[in-house]
Amino acid sequence: MHYPWWYVPYLTAPMLIALVAVVHVLVSHYAVGGGLFLAWETRFAYRKHNRGYLAYLRRHARFFVLLTVVFGAITGVGIWWTIGLASPLATEVLIRTFVFGWAMEWVFFVIEITSAFIFFYWWGRLPERTHVRIGMIYGAAAWISLVLITGITAFMLNPGDWPARGGFWVGFFNPQFVPQVVARTGGALLLTSLYVYLHASLTIKDAELRELISRRSLRPSFVGVVLIAAGGAGWYAFLPPSAMAVLPTASVLNVLMAAVVAMTVVVFAAIWFGPYRNPSWLSPGFAAMMLLFGFGAVTTGEFIREAVRKPYVVYNVVLGNQILPEEIPRLRQSGILAGGTWTRALVVERHPGLIVDGRLDAGRLAALGHDERLALGEVLFQYQCNDCHAARDGYSAVAPLVRGRSPGAIQQMIVGFEKTHFYMPPWCGTEEEALLLGEYLAAIAPPKPKGMRLDGQEEDR
Amino acid sequence: MDPHMLVDSSSLAPLPVPYWFIELFKVLGFTLHLVPMNLWFAGIMTAMFLRAAGGEHAVVFSRRLMRQMPIIVAYGVNFGIVPLLFMQLAYSQFFYPATILTAWYWMAIVVLLIPAYYGVYLYSFGLRDAEPSGPSPWRKFIGWTSAVLFMTIGYLLVNGLSLTEHVEAWSLLWGNHQVAGAATGTGANLYDVQILPRWLMMFGLALGTTAAWVVLDAAWFFREAPEAYRRWAGRFALGLATVGAAWFAAAGSWYVFGTWPDGLFERMFAWPTLPLTLATAVAPGLPVALLVLMAVRGFTRAGATSVAAAQFGALALNAISRQVVQNIRVGAFADLAGRPTEIEWGPLVTFLVLFVAGALVILWMVAQVVKAARGAA
Repeated sequence: MHYPWWYVPYLTAPMLIALVAVVHVLVSHYAVGGGLFLAWETRFAYRKHNRGYLAYLRRHARFFVLLTVVFGAITGVGIWWTIGLASPLATEVLIRTFVFGWAMEWVFFVIEITSAFIFFYWWGRLPERTHVRIGMIYGAAAWISLVLITGITAFMLNPGDWPARGGFWVGFFNPQFVPQVVARTGGALLLTSLYVYLHASLTIKDAELRELISRRSLRPSFVGVVLIAAGGAGWYAFLPPSAMAVLPTASVLNVLMAAVVAMTVVVFAAIWFGPYRNPSWLSPGFAAMMLLFGFGAVTTGEFIREAVRKPYVVYNVVLGNQILPEEIPRLRQSGILAGGTWTRALVVERHPGLIVDGRLDAGRLAALGHDERLALGEVLFQYQCNDCHAARDGYSAVAPLVRGRSPGAIQQMIVGFEKTHFYMPPWCGTEEEALLLGEYLAAIAPPKPKGMRLDGQEEDR
Repeated sequence: MDPHMLVDSSSLAPLPVPYWFIELFKVLGFTLHLVPMNLWFAGIMTAMFLRAAGGEHAVVFSRRLMRQMPIIVAYGVNFGIVPLLFMQLAYSQFFYPATILTAWYWMAIVVLLIPAYYGVYLYSFGLRDAEPSGPSPWRKFIGWTSAVLFMTIGYLLVNGLSLTEHVEAWSLLWGNHQVAGAATGTGANLYDVQILPRWLMMFGLALGTTAAWVVLDAAWFFREAPEAYRRWAGRFALGLATVGAAWFAAAGSWYVFGTWPDGLFERMFAWPTLPLTLATAVAPGLPVALLVLMAVRGFTRAGATSVAAAQFGALALNAISRQVVQNIRVGAFADLAGRPTEIEWGPLVTFLVLFVAGALVILWMVAQVVKAARGAA
């Protein structure tokens, strides 16, 4: 449409966002919770003059800096890179709306890296009180950056009154803002405890020290679980109606929702029976198991958060196929091929004279050869469907879903999509274009499976 | 294909701040990014050469720079956010198509940055562990690999950003790298004649920035530096800055006289941009002149600071000129300055307040470090 579509074979471009985002989230939550942990525990260790614990915290700070300042920061840039490539219109709208939200977040990033480096590199060279204060500054800056980015990502799920009223603050303080901040803060605390358990189990031989760490990380982990539960409930309560309706509709989301709850319960139970009741259980294997379940819960939760937005990238603002809802009436007049910037350029180049008065000429379109019609159908697929579906093979491929259907039947299905499938975007083109897409899909669809016994009769083998 | 067909401004909403504000922060952010970026672009390679073939003082500087490098890279990546953010705000109709057409190369920047940055850390930790014998062969290999990776990243970045302002190249790239009109993102834009001179020009500037860092570090951060080291720093910086300025002049001449399209050349060499063009061209010579002066009068903190300030000025002029060139080139396809504006004062003021408050917090933290360092001394 406005921008060229990026074709990623098999996977689809938006799934790259999911991959990069999930990897980033696992580290970025630790970047928030880990900062709070280090500052708080360093304060405790100074007060108790516990040299062994201080030495461990210093080692942990090194691990923390290496993981968050390098991998966390670069994968954060990676998300930004990927959303611009895979969802350029949505990114454009978000940046236009929240440019100062990102600018504010950048200020806190600078404070974060400055305080993190001073906290780690100047360990033992600063007065204890100053050292702790700088750790606290890091923790506060990291949490505020979480709040700022959550305002933007929560907006994507439920922008509230923004489509009607507009404005930064209306969008930022959206209905999902508080629940997601609460849930992410909980996630940061819980994941940090799990990181600490694994790190401590791998690096500490002293049983007494290991037990101390095991005990000290209990409170944040339990608080984390409570916040996740409260935030999760709020997330569900403030879902827009279509997102709430998607959850029971898509069977995969049923399974994933159950998986999130189950994995969170497993983590909670493991902490209860492990570090809380039996601190000596904290072996590397047990800690790795807890962290893996924690990762599983977070990644599954992130996937669900993304999936329930369908058919939008930004609810009620940008559709998944990079079209603004208000553009649909115009596109239904002109058609997608003539109405989109890049599709129009392609048609003008390949079929001079096919676009007349800003739309496809029906007579010339009908006169095109079979292969040429299929090629145009494929263009429509790329610009209308590939944001969620691969064509023949790959992620949520369409061809296997339309086996055995005629082009006309597919056309009828496409033009009424939003009436029968509320989670699909409405067809934005003309009926002729829907037929072109139907012809293309019918051409690539595999045959209907044979040998099925229906109505008491077995079909042809 | 008419390139105008591929530029779409129909989705653009009014800007939340005046266009001049966006340009100001974009140029300011890019200038700030240039300092650390120059230090990893040319500095790592310089440090590796000095470690391999330098004398006693050269090895000391190499070690110092590489131990500072993890922090330098962190700030470089961080400062790069600002110009990219404001670029996406005001130039989205150019930035997104260019990066999508070269998507895998653009993504490669992020992928390469992770091993490059970890490589710097590994090399840096090796310096701490192995002093004074120096890093082991495999750590040296990692150091060299990081140097090459950072230079490659620079090339890929120039590749994407050059295409942003080279709309005329889009249709060919798209035509050769697409599946049913969707870009495959495999277009490398390598046949753009501007990429190599722009990349080389930046390398020349980066040598100058590294030279300025040599004297700045010796003057301010290396408190216990012997006088002989400071003399070496002044001499070495002079040599490096001279090479950098000559390199910049050669690559810049190639870029300006060999690759600028008609129209751009006339605009940049006409009033009112002529003084800017000339100042940008001669600016890298000023740090060299100041280093010559310092060689004659002796190494001083004031002299080192003035060299660094002059180099910062050269970088700022370069950033401004790049912005002007970009505006002229993309201005043929869209009226950037004429885009409507609906200022949102609330978030704007909040950002500016936080910007100042954040700077004060950082100053406080740095002051604590300085105080502790003085106490230790």
